[in-house]
Amino acid sequence: MIDALLQGLSLVLQWNAFSLMLVGMALGFVVGLLPGIGGAATLALMLPFVFKMSPVEAFAFLLGMHSVAATTGDITSILFGVPGEALSAATVVDGHPMAKNGEAARALGAALMSSLVGAVIGAAALAVSIPIVRPLVLTFGSPELFMVTMMGIACITSLSGQGTGAQLKGFAMGLLGLLLATIGQERQSGILRFDFGLIYLWEGLDLIPVLVGIFAIPEIIDLAARGTAIAGNAPATKLGAGVWEGIKDTFRHFWLVVRCSAVGVLVGILPGAGGGVAQWMAYAHAVQSAKGTADRERFGKGDVRGVLGPGAANNSKEGGDLIPTIAFGVPGSGAMAILLGAFLIMGLHPGPDMLTKHLAVTYSMVWTLVIANVITVVVCLALLPYLALVTRIRGSLIIPFLLLLVFVGSYTANRQLADLLVTLGFGAVGYLMMRFGWPRAPLVLGFVLGKLAETYLFISMARYGYAWLAQPLVLVLMALTALVIVLPYLQERRAHAN
Amino acid sequence: MRISGAVIFSAGLAMTAAYAVLTALRWPSKAALFPLVMGIPLLVLAMAQMVIDWRGVRAPADAPRDTRAAVSVLAWMTSFIALVFLLGFPLAVPIFIFGYLVIAGREPWFLSLALALVAWGAFYLLFQRLLHFPFDSGWLIGGGT
Repeated sequence: MIDALLQGLSLVLQWNAFSLMLVGMALGFVVGLLPGIGGAATLALMLPFVFKMSPVEAFAFLLGMHSVAATTGDITSILFGVPGEALSAATVVDGHPMAKNGEAARALGAALMSSLVGAVIGAAALAVSIPIVRPLVLTFGSPELFMVTMMGIACITSLSGQGTGAQLKGFAMGLLGLLLATIGQERQSGILRFDFGLIYLWEGLDLIPVLVGIFAIPEIIDLAARGTAIAGNAPATKLGAGVWEGIKDTFRHFWLVVRCSAVGVLVGILPGAGGGVAQWMAYAHAVQSAKGTADRERFGKGDVRGVLGPGAANNSKEGGDLIPTIAFGVPGSGAMAILLGAFLIMGLHPGPDMLTKHLAVTYSMVWTLVIANVITVVVCLALLPYLALVTRIRGSLIIPFLLLLVFVGSYTANRQLADLLVTLGFGAVGYLMMRFGWPRAPLVLGFVLGKLAETYLFISMARYGYAWLAQPLVLVLMALTALVIVLPYLQERRAHAN
Repeated sequence: MRISGAVIFSAGLAMTAAYAVLTALRWPSKAALFPLVMGIPLLVLAMAQMVIDWRGVRAPADAPRDTRAAVSVLAWMTSFIALVFLLGFPLAVPIFIFGYLVIAGREPWFLSLALALVAWGAFYLLFQRLLHFPFDSGWLIGGGT
């Protein structure tokens, strides 16, 4: 194994593979900043270019690009409140308020360093677990996956804020998100639900326009209303000086970062659990791990732990995603499904061969994840003080460019002009939600998980009837879900008792 | 007790949930189950919140109260979308940037022009040269193709 690991490293460091990885990273850096063209779409766009490459070169190019896109997505999330990647949305919740408080550099430093730690943990998990993960993946059928989505939905209790009123609004928004996910053709009966006679809605609403509208547009309106720069009147000296503070934050809350990385790996391993789930679950875990009500109330207002958790999970998930893809040819996400295409183009067959005959290629992927993230973080850290200065540019100059980012991003996800109207509509709704104190995160979580939950529920019922409810692993996951719901209340009661 | 924006928002949410429930009742059980399971509690929660808002209990809001700024930004967004529908992205991008900077931002026209050209150049290089991303050309130019 050590030999294969070293051989994998030497393969990645060969000039051709390394330079292609750098090209992929440069591309990933740019597209990571755009909301619509995410890592998966870029993989698809770049797939035709790998035909003449060797397997190591191809995976260095594609994985270098993909892993960097996941990291740089956090940059726009923090600086502008515009999620650069659909999966970076959870970083907005605390990252952007930090930028508004003049702590953009600290938030970026924390996001990048936690991303690096997450990527290394994800890669290590990939290296270690491939031979042993088979039983876990094969144990998870539709009933277990349904319970995993339920556990994700249960995180709404942590995302809703404190107090009965906030919980009521949080649950209502979570339910609205789940309801919005039912728009479009129902897969089993073929019934068109809430389509209003529009062909556009047959496929349901896409995540990107909803996400970008809900999160980014209210921030742009806020910027216009304040008439200042993003960082407002925060002292200029604070802006670039926080990078090291952000890095130190990662190690100050190291166990939180490790736990959130583990959440990312686990969600990544489960095929079909969806990448968006990992970040939100990690964020919810960060909120839950707060000590007491007062500590928890800091989340959503610019708490660095709200940046560290999602940042770590975002990148550790990549390693987790690769595990079932390489080991069984079962892609853990949309991006991995596209990467599976690259395997076939290269003449490789995921499965036992990747663990024996092509083990060096497999480990070259592990190294690509690590090296690409290290280079990205080093480059970004060097640029951070300058990136943070963007938050000092006056609002009137930056708003049209942000609007451009929002709408071009929404359009490029599906090439549908109607997505622009959806973005605008959800932007207006997002603004009203902010204005009247309704939390936005539960809506997004419900929307992300709704389709998955319904599909897994249907398959479970069709396959097992109600008997799936009594399966041992389902019962364990049910207990964990109940714990996720009850834990914030127990913590609150304990805090009151003290 | 008064009808505020918060009450209207909660009422809108309750009406949305009521519409979803009433519509789902007409579908076969397989298709209706999930919307009903989500819609009915949403209706109850939204109505409860409406009563809370109506009785004047106000939740802390973190959005600006400047309605004029909100309407202005939404109007600019609508105009950008209209430009995209009519002219397509490649033309709408520089026109919108220039128009916003000069009219809403009150920036000098030469700076606005320079920034509009920079935006267009970046857009052209990234999407059309590098990624070969196909954009619709707009109804006025290419008949919407």
